[in-house]
Amino acid sequence: MKKRAFSVSLVAGLLCQSAFADQTSPVIGLHHKTPSLITFTNATIYPTPGKVLRNATMIIENGHVKAIGANIKAAKGSTVIDLKGFTIYPGFIDAYSDYGIDYTYPKQDSKGPIYRIDRIGGNAANSAIHAQMNWVEHFAPDEKAAKKYLKNGFTSVQSAKLDGILRGRAVTVSLGDGIANDLVYKPYAQHFASFSKGSSKQGYPSSLMGSLALLRQTFSDANWYQDAQGKKASKGGERIEYNAALAAISDIEKQGAFFATQSEQSLLRAAKLLDTFDIKPTLLGSGFEYTRLDEIAQLKANLVMPLSFAKKPSLGVAQGREISLADLRHWERSPGNLATLQNSKLTLAISSHGVKGDKFLSNLRLAVKQGFSEKSALAALTTNPAKMAGISNNVGQLRNGYIADFIISKGNVFKDGLIVSVWTQGQKHQMVSMKHLALNGNYEFNSQQNGELLAMTINMSKKKAKVTVKKGDDSFKVSNVAKAIDSVSFVITENKQPVRYSFWLAKDGTTLVGRQIDVNQQQKNIVANKIDNKPDNKSSKKGADDKSDQAENTAYLSKLTWPNRAFGQTSLPKSQKVHLKNATVWTSEDAGILKNTDVLIANGIFVAIGKDLKTPKGYISIDATGKHVTAGIVDEHSHIAISRGVNEGSEAITAEVRIGDVVNPDDIHIYRSLAGGTTTAQLLHGSANPIGGQAQVIQLKWGESASNMKLANTPGAIKFALGENVKQSNWGSRYTTRYPQTRMGVEAVFKDAFQHAKEYKKAQRAYAKLSRSEKKEIAPLRRDYRLETIAEILAAKRHVHIHSYIQSEILMFLRLAESFDFTIATFTHILEGYKLADEIKAHGAGASTFADWWGYKFEVYDAIPQNACLMAQRGINTSLNSDSRDLQRRLNQEAAKSITYCDMSQLEAWKMVTINPAKQLKIDGRVGSIKKGKQADFVIWDHNPLSVYARVEQTWIAGKQYYSQTDDKKRQLAQRIEKANLLGKLLADKSKPTKTAALSASEKMLQPAWQCDDQHDTWLQHVDHGVRL
Amino acid sequence: MKLLQSKLKQLVLVSAWALGMTQLSIAHDMVPGKKQSQAILISGATLHTVSNGVLANTDILFNHGKITAIGSNLNTPANTKVIDASGKHVYPGLISMASQLGLREIESVKATVDIREVGEDNPHLLAHVAYNPDSEIIPTIRANGITHVQVTPAGHLLGGQSSVINLDAWNVDDGLVKGAVGIHLFWPSKPASWVSEKRLPKALTRYQDRLTRMYDYFEQSKRYYNAYQADKHIAKDVRWHAMLGLWQGDKTLYVHATEITEIEQAMRFAQQQTIKLVIVGGNDAWMVAKQLAEQDVAVVYTNAFGLPERGDEDIDQAFKSPAMLHQAGVTLAIGYESAWDSRSLAFAAGMASSYGLSKEQALRAITLTPAQLMGVDKILGSLEVGKSASLIISQGDVLDYQGHKVELMFIDGRLVDLNNRHRQLYNKYRQKNNE
Repeated sequence: MKKRAFSVSLVAGLLCQSAFADQTSPVIGLHHKTPSLITFTNATIYPTPGKVLRNATMIIENGHVKAIGANIKAAKGSTVIDLKGFTIYPGFIDAYSDYGIDYTYPKQDSKGPIYRIDRIGGNAANSAIHAQMNWVEHFAPDEKAAKKYLKNGFTSVQSAKLDGILRGRAVTVSLGDGIANDLVYKPYAQHFASFSKGSSKQGYPSSLMGSLALLRQTFSDANWYQDAQGKKASKGGERIEYNAALAAISDIEKQGAFFATQSEQSLLRAAKLLDTFDIKPTLLGSGFEYTRLDEIAQLKANLVMPLSFAKKPSLGVAQGREISLADLRHWERSPGNLATLQNSKLTLAISSHGVKGDKFLSNLRLAVKQGFSEKSALAALTTNPAKMAGISNNVGQLRNGYIADFIISKGNVFKDGLIVSVWTQGQKHQMVSMKHLALNGNYEFNSQQNGELLAMTINMSKKKAKVTVKKGDDSFKVSNVAKAIDSVSFVITENKQPVRYSFWLAKDGTTLVGRQIDVNQQQKNIVANKIDNKPDNKSSKKGADDKSDQAENTAYLSKLTWPNRAFGQTSLPKSQKVHLKNATVWTSEDAGILKNTDVLIANGIFVAIGKDLKTPKGYISIDATGKHVTAGIVDEHSHIAISRGVNEGSEAITAEVRIGDVVNPDDIHIYRSLAGGTTTAQLLHGSANPIGGQAQVIQLKWGESASNMKLANTPGAIKFALGENVKQSNWGSRYTTRYPQTRMGVEAVFKDAFQHAKEYKKAQRAYAKLSRSEKKEIAPLRRDYRLETIAEILAAKRHVHIHSYIQSEILMFLRLAESFDFTIATFTHILEGYKLADEIKAHGAGASTFADWWGYKFEVYDAIPQNACLMAQRGINTSLNSDSRDLQRRLNQEAAKSITYCDMSQLEAWKMVTINPAKQLKIDGRVGSIKKGKQADFVIWDHNPLSVYARVEQTWIAGKQYYSQTDDKKRQLAQRIEKANLLGKLLADKSKPTKTAALSASEKMLQPAWQCDDQHDTWLQHVDHGVRL
Repeated sequence: MKLLQSKLKQLVLVSAWALGMTQLSIAHDMVPGKKQSQAILISGATLHTVSNGVLANTDILFNHGKITAIGSNLNTPANTKVIDASGKHVYPGLISMASQLGLREIESVKATVDIREVGEDNPHLLAHVAYNPDSEIIPTIRANGITHVQVTPAGHLLGGQSSVINLDAWNVDDGLVKGAVGIHLFWPSKPASWVSEKRLPKALTRYQDRLTRMYDYFEQSKRYYNAYQADKHIAKDVRWHAMLGLWQGDKTLYVHATEITEIEQAMRFAQQQTIKLVIVGGNDAWMVAKQLAEQDVAVVYTNAFGLPERGDEDIDQAFKSPAMLHQAGVTLAIGYESAWDSRSLAFAAGMASSYGLSKEQALRAITLTPAQLMGVDKILGSLEVGKSASLIISQGDVLDYQGHKVELMFIDGRLVDLNNRHRQLYNKYRQKNNE
């Protein structure tokens, strides 16, 4: 405190330090009473976006705007500052920062994984939830950090520690000097949030879907906690716990949440989640919004855009071989992102988060050049962030009574203007000396040595002064240029003699006076007269350049596709009416394989199957002579198209997490699998824990949004797992403490979970029966997403797909399910299913296995390639799944292996990848076979699809063609040309690559090859990538 | 045929009995075939000779373990067994290169894995020393037509040497066809694209250091070679001694390299040092197909079912690479750098054929070319008079799933038991609840 008070008195450039002082600090020493009344005259003023006052006057006093307008006289007794040729803007506001917050969370020591955290002061059970933090309590100004903001025109920020999922409540502060008491504008501003658990070392959540689930549960808990206040937890009189985090967010609906995201997909996820809880979203964008503009523009949200643009890709030694098309495209288009957003429903703000130094203004100007209007830009830097940060009633505009936070610039700050000074609460922070600026210009003077007339230009705007001296067209070498507080000096050589000149402003305010000294210490006074500012050649030429730049920049060489990467769709396919003629049709129905058969498709469904059909009007006909037509392949077990973690493998039960939350429509494997004939895939949680997460069935509609890919109205499904993975057999020596570690423990975990879920439902029913007066006394049951999901299984509303290998555990789970009276939907992998075929059949479960995998771990040592045959022979509905990105491209071949190894019939083999898995997903009424009335998902093959020589020619989903081999060839070619063009542009761009906080397109798309047993911590890996949100 | 069938049946019975005794046997139950004691004539089959095209409806005769005649109306010795194979297909036994068969049983159980020694300078290690002829995996591989494998170690940098082994043996002594056919070098890989910026400098240093060490090992071994040329009695360094053959030009250097930088570096290195080079892996080899052909560097392509290496790459790149390599004139073999899944070798060749390689070339890539690369083409790799009677009879096209039914296999004229753990378990559990 003492130190800070001391520093205040040392602040340089402080015009009126006592103007806005606090009321409670005792005065040490003398009272400062310098008047703070200032009149700025003759300025161009932008009081608010879209409005401009020319030759206007602004009067400020005591840190506030006193008057503003075109016809206002200078205030009596005021200091008058003539701002002719200068412009005043409201100070910029950054709604996303961690300015002035110096705080580190205590670390929990642990050698192994952390499942439970230290509980202190009623904190949340998860150490990524810091909702109870009020950052105002930790705020202290930081002069050095403030300067970085001030330089770019910022006068206030909304600030919090950027760490964790719920990060606590931000504080909005002035970037001025002083003590916190004077600088806090809004002590309790927005709640900050993100999906990243930050420095938390707790295992949960280890995945993006885990973060979503944790947020969902926490928001729900907050509502419950609010309802429960003043009540008892149960009839027995149990207390409601004290929970500081939940108490802090009980009003989050009103306070709003500021949510940091790192990709357009996560932005959509955050918006959806917040909307569920009626929390008004302010979202931090990523720069990729233009790639899914249709969806994002529909959001009713605040969007804060960091101004870090894409990294300039590095060509490398191989002339761009390793640069992805997506990176090149994003490099070209990311400066134009803001322009594409300005006509949306979104309220836009701009943040300097992640952009260093000069780069902020140059990027801002680049965005404006790309079509982001100056009006939008000003709003995005003033009025809009003021609303978000909760200070719009006195900051963000220049109006009577508003705080005097403003920028004075020479020229247009959105084009090439120079920020001369930035004022916080009426305090001046000089960026460029006015005295220096006054020296700028073109002059002529007579030289000492021979009386020749020399021309001189002075530019003092930058850190280093720049001086040129010319005689006619000959330039002198100008050296030893030095800036003094009010003058400039330099040395030129005349008659082989170095001569030092110094100049300062004469009283008239235009002429320079000065002196020259030679090596003999001879001094002479000298006068330099200003030459009228003719539009000299150089600047007019520059103007012309600007125009051509603009023309060049708006003509993109890159395409915009969905998704915006190689192989993306240039437009989304439309539903067609199709007549397939004379094909071999594999119906996957009792009808079998029909030769010389026609199929009619309209409105997304099969409308007729028969011989020699006539082509109805308006149908396109495809001659399929010699071709094989099948239903689209259905994969019961897939992990493609999942963002940031396929396992929430931290805890033994994570039924609350939803794959549906994290579907990634940009995954190239959607396209690749589509090209292998797969049209439907069940995206499953991994097998790192006994009860994993909720599954999501998608259709591989390449190009569509995540939500459009989801197959609507599918019954709920969930991943369970048994064996080595869940007991952490191959996880290394760190993982030996989580319950269970044996197959015995696995059974106990299941039993306990189901029992508890039963009791949970019972308690829910009991609460519903309470009388109104009892309900006033007793709090409602806390909604538990985890238990609720498990209870859905018992109610047959959610179906279990259980990862299983060996017969003992299979039998265990069969009996356990029977004791809890539910039917298992599918045993997945089920490599020893052949040992228990009759038992599985009797229970009524399906089986989805691998064709021939074995030997990769001990529990698969008895796996045999005849497994599918034996199970099918015993009447089990059997399918083959991929569990892999590459197998999903050739499930037809996997099916064929049952013919190789155990003579399955072609029809039965084909059913194993179409109708059988569709039955397992309980979507066989809609997909999985070619049958009148069913959705027209089909594949055209050039051979018998059960041959190694078979290749997919076309893949259709719901009557729309999403893949064709011919089109793919065209795409391959077009991409090569586009890439070559972009590489040419990249080569021609001489600008130096700069560091940027923004993810590149390829970093964003970076996805490990998720497999069942991947269980690493996505977020810790994320931190490792140096990405800070 | 009848006799053989009953013999097979007997074998099945014997093994079923043995299985009942031991749930998890240490040794598999299939008994190696007896030495060929009478001439065998396979008649009326389609012969895929590899070296001499496809011969429809042709007979093949073998005796004392060697092919003695191919043609029609052959003179047969007295007591010749005749196998009527009309409508069926005869192929030379398939040869699986770069295999880890017999070196690893269960991937995640360390005690069963002998593929990688510590250290980076292990050129002297011999993979066949650790080869377990009783691996349960071996009979499952044979069942899919593979008669020989190149047993190959893994490692960091210089991993060791591979050997050619026949898959129907009591032990390595009678299984070894040719020992130490090549030295395997695992070329250092650049840090992966997902390494964070923070960690990249360190990873790059590690990478550079590893490359430097690798070149240094070769320099040391060359010094040893030079000294050895002058004086055969110099103190023996087992590592560099094992590499003499490389410098003498009679041993092949198998460089395991997938990424283009690795392949290009390896090519430059081999050119400068005049070392006989074969690339194993070769995912990116298509990029330099022409140069590989010009430099006469063969590729053992192990990515037949792989994914594209890059997001922008043609989605079928991995499938069509074999055809692209062949068309450019590269000597091409198709292999599997693993153990249990190498039974799909024939299908890998089929896949390459589906994407532009002719069926004949695809077959050659898993028979004669491997034999040539490993210097055993005088005895293996094709159906030719004088060569080993290591061949298979398949019901149909062996490269395709539906035709691939290996009914009989002979190795050096010995009838091989095609039963295996999988068939045994299948047969066992087919009997469950069947009464």
